[in-house]
Amino acid sequence: MRSKKSLFLNALLVLVVMFAFTAQAYAGGKVYKIGMSLAITGPTSDAGNPYSKGTEDYFKFVNDTKILGNDTIDCTIRDDQYKTDVTKRNFEEYLEDGIVMYLNYSTGSTLGLKRDFDEEKIAVLPASYHAGNLDGSNYIFLPIASYSDQLVILAEYVAKNNKSGKAKVALFVHPSAFGRGPVADVEKAVAAGLNIELVEVVEHGKNLDNTAMLKRLMSKGVQYVISQTIQSPVATMIKDAQRLQLSASSFGEAGKFTFLGAHYTGGNDLIALAGKAAENYFWTTGFNITSVKGAGTEAQLALAKKYGRDQKAADSHNYAAGIMVAQVVTEVIKRAKAADLDVNRANLYKMLNQMNGGNAYKPYSTSGPVSYSKTDRAGVDLLQIYSVQNGVFKKVGEPMQSEYMQKIK
Amino acid sequence: MSYFFQIVVSGIVVGSIYALAALGMVLIYKSSKVLNIAHGQIIAAGAFITYFLTVTVGVPIFFSFIASMIITFFLAMSVERIFLRRLIGEPIISVIMVTIGLGSILDGLIYLTPFGSENFSFPVFLPQEPLSLGGVSISWTQLVGVIITFVLIGGFSYFFKKSTVGISMRAVSDDQFGSMSVGISVPKVFGLAWATAGLSAAAAGCIIGNITGLNFDTLHAFGIVVFPVIILGGLDSILGAVVAGIIMGLIQQFAAGYLDGNFGLKGTGDVMPYVILLIILWFKPHGLFGIHEIERV
Repeated sequence: MRSKKSLFLNALLVLVVMFAFTAQAYAGGKVYKIGMSLAITGPTSDAGNPYSKGTEDYFKFVNDTKILGNDTIDCTIRDDQYKTDVTKRNFEEYLEDGIVMYLNYSTGSTLGLKRDFDEEKIAVLPASYHAGNLDGSNYIFLPIASYSDQLVILAEYVAKNNKSGKAKVALFVHPSAFGRGPVADVEKAVAAGLNIELVEVVEHGKNLDNTAMLKRLMSKGVQYVISQTIQSPVATMIKDAQRLQLSASSFGEAGKFTFLGAHYTGGNDLIALAGKAAENYFWTTGFNITSVKGAGTEAQLALAKKYGRDQKAADSHNYAAGIMVAQVVTEVIKRAKAADLDVNRANLYKMLNQMNGGNAYKPYSTSGPVSYSKTDRAGVDLLQIYSVQNGVFKKVGEPMQSEYMQKIK
Repeated sequence: MSYFFQIVVSGIVVGSIYALAALGMVLIYKSSKVLNIAHGQIIAAGAFITYFLTVTVGVPIFFSFIASMIITFFLAMSVERIFLRRLIGEPIISVIMVTIGLGSILDGLIYLTPFGSENFSFPVFLPQEPLSLGGVSISWTQLVGVIITFVLIGGFSYFFKKSTVGISMRAVSDDQFGSMSVGISVPKVFGLAWATAGLSAAAAGCIIGNITGLNFDTLHAFGIVVFPVIILGGLDSILGAVVAGIIMGLIQQFAAGYLDGNFGLKGTGDVMPYVILLIILWFKPHGLFGIHEIERV
């Protein structure tokens, strides 16, 4: 008798639990799974850490403010410590979990997993803007214009603003695919008529002193050094130039170096590392930065405040970059839902490819609209140049698109 | 001509800092024949402790520098006490493997703090104008770095040659069982070797951090960057570390100054020190000041 009663109670309990889950699922709507793998610790985590916070916070915001109605985004973020094998493992586990889009990080792992992305037919937004990511791949979408675009646009800026004769330029690059990638495109732009003389390409090591290199470049008449690397080696170089009294106090000052650099060379991290030596450093990126006030940066700061981030993370351009990829993912899900399509890999890929012309997306985190198509898989084409003035990055002119990259493509 | 002398000065500056960064590894090897793979992490820890005391706590940087050397002295001593003391008498390779694990643990601990994934720089505390003479310039940061390097290296050389404890450490390095038989405490000597290595690593971390800025990846990489210096110097020779450090610094700067960008060459500043290392080891396989031990059977 007792066991019959117990059986009945257990069956009732199971029914109640099942009902509760069903009701919750119905009320809570659908859950879209996204995967992200990046370096929260390990090499380059100074960029990866705030990047992950931006993505995490924006997806929380989407769910908390019901941007997708009752549907929610479940984004799993895992640390890969900048190791491609760990990235691959994370990606494979995400696939088993049923993700509909994937957010990747480094150049190495994006190149390494390129085939996997195509085989799985899953759209991927990496934090690497290496143009080579797009070669032979249909599923990788760069959030902003490539490093090649960034270097060429800086070279164009040099050519336009150099005060006399042909500007002599050196490239200072990371000894990897990430650093070397854009060199060939700069050379092509020069061959196509860009009015600069590319004197030397320097691949840096772990230098404690760049005196010999700087003196050598100066002896060859180099006036502009454009960097494609990370902040730390740039900081050491510009501090050395300051010590040697070779830093230009204004753009293109004769007999001195004017330093410029691509996305990962700049931002507040460069100022933190180089201090006053960062003054007059010219930097380009496709993101808005909080030292230039605007509606976009206010929204970024409000988001960071809402989720309890410290000021350093809130002000990081990598935090903005993390927000941006989350905004793009949210937007394509929204568009798929609005078109009454299932939110799956194929439809999100389709929505990304339709994000152009009048359908281009304007997130608050970027310096221009995000547009993708089957032939253009770099999101923000308009890049903004900034320079350090009195210890903070300030806007230089308006966002622009590379003229020569159009010619050499 | 000033170009040449500028490169010489830069080479000596870089080489001296390499020597200081290598010193800790030499001290441990000298007393225990162990290569400490976690040395780079201790270099980084020293720099971050100085920054924390200076910026967060508000201690004047000079005192923070001294305090960080004292803290890493005890930190390294504790590491030896907790992780390595039990391995006395075990094969050297086991101890080296433990130092690899130790490096991972220290990495993990530093990644738990903001220092693992953020960039910082020390507050400016030295004059910004460089010292210049005849077209050759050196920054105050570099000059102070070189002076600290030579003071520490001079002090350690004296310690090993003249003090009883220093001589005991050399004795332990030569023969652990022989040392024990004359009453030397081998565990205490090992602890002291790690402690002094920690102290020198903190000094190196502060000097490197002041030059490059405080980035964990950059700082802890110097534990590996100085390997050729240690090997060229002969592993257990302080003088060898100094001479090898300066040779490496000079080669690096001369290659960067005269070879890179000419004759179609690139990156020789990074490669040439290793090429020269291989050539020297061809003729002197135990390094410039290494001891060639002859065992009689």
